[in-house]
Amino acid sequence: MLQALDIHKKFGSLGVLKGVSLQVEKGEVIAIIGPSGSGKSTLLRCLNHLETIDKGTIAVQGEFMAQAGPDGIAFYSPEKDIAAIRHKMGMVFQNFNLFPHKSVLENLVMAPMLVKQTDRLQAENSARELLKKVGLSEKADNYPFELSGGQQQRVAIARALAMDPEIMCFDEPTSALDPELTGEVLQVMKDLAQEHMTMVVVTHEIGFAREVANRVLFMDEGLVVEEGSAEDVIVNPRQERTRAFLSKVLMAR
Amino acid sequence: MDYILMLLPSMLKGLTVTLKLFSLTLLLALPLGILMGMARLSHFKPLKWFMEFYVWLFRGTPLLLQLLFMYFGLMTIGIRLEREIAAYLAFVLNYSAYLAEIFRSGIQSISPGQYEAADVLGLNRVQTMRNIVLPQVFKRVLPPIGNEVINLVKDTALIYVLAISELSRVARTHVMRDGTFTPFIIAAVFYLIMTGTVQQVFKWLESRFDYYR
Repeated sequence: MLQALDIHKKFGSLGVLKGVSLQVEKGEVIAIIGPSGSGKSTLLRCLNHLETIDKGTIAVQGEFMAQAGPDGIAFYSPEKDIAAIRHKMGMVFQNFNLFPHKSVLENLVMAPMLVKQTDRLQAENSARELLKKVGLSEKADNYPFELSGGQQQRVAIARALAMDPEIMCFDEPTSALDPELTGEVLQVMKDLAQEHMTMVVVTHEIGFAREVANRVLFMDEGLVVEEGSAEDVIVNPRQERTRAFLSKVLMAR
Repeated sequence: MDYILMLLPSMLKGLTVTLKLFSLTLLLALPLGILMGMARLSHFKPLKWFMEFYVWLFRGTPLLLQLLFMYFGLMTIGIRLEREIAAYLAFVLNYSAYLAEIFRSGIQSISPGQYEAADVLGLNRVQTMRNIVLPQVFKRVLPPIGNEVINLVKDTALIYVLAISELSRVARTHVMRDGTFTPFIIAAVFYLIMTGTVQQVFKWLESRFDYYR
């Protein structure tokens, strides 16, 4: 479904990704965990083309977004091809990034109408379906500022789903939330996983990763340090760095 | 009272000159300001540099001087503009520069997350500007633009240097001829009505945009 091979990314002289590879199969839920600054969010942003990579290959369903040349340097495909690939990816941000001047319903129908030329009636119907799915049917006509953080993030998930993506990416979706509001967002994500949505989730929620993820990647200093089933990585980590990180995170609870 | 009634026709004529300059400037400088504000943020460097130079030039010199240049200055190099045209030109160019700066800062105040959200949803640059960025910019720039518009009402008095009979010049003519202060008071009342109207309009506009935060 999604292949990322040997991704290198520098910000100035600072190497953020130093050769990261990631394979995602259809219907898989991948959790990426690791300390701040480990490059996990950057990796996700590169997959979404919010950042460009220096070296490596990114392909979705066999179509290249960027392809490595003989020396590894990434060559990006033409704009149009990249746009087509990006249509297959949905993204949920840490800070929701809802459009504050639009009602919840308008947040959901805007992109389908503008990008896919869906007519309003159809767009609104599927938007209401999605709002029902995330449990916010009653909030269709509210504005984002009238919602709690958890509700805003659920709207953001619905907004991404409105474009009917093949893969959903989540960038620390619960990190900006009060602890009592993370549950409702994680529940929506669990529901998605149960429907076999392909998901890549950058998260600090170790419990969620353990429960929902088919595979867990532990990243540190721009590299994947350990990768495997949730059971292997979280319960029986082999690497010292993974153990150190997990003990810190789990102790904090 | 009779004196005031006698003054009114000529003062109203001055007022229409003032109002014409005011509305024409606003009508042209607002869209120009938006375009220039965006140009100022362009990735195309020469355009960006040109806009920076433009803003520096027109914000950095007195409007009074710009009026004189547009009329007398251009005349010395053989371009003879009508006095009114020279006045409109100076005002539009000057106010565009100020409005461009307001729109630039407004556009820059929109968080990168808004662009990223639009980007991952597949909106192109034009769609993002029109549907996401500019609507939010308008709400934010209303107060500073209200300031500029009120300044504009009062700045119209400057075109007296081109011997155009706008409101304040008409008043001054009467004061000097009749030896009474009354025409100035009437002019002041007219200005206050104009600025008061602007203030109310902007108050209404701000309340219209109050539906979200």
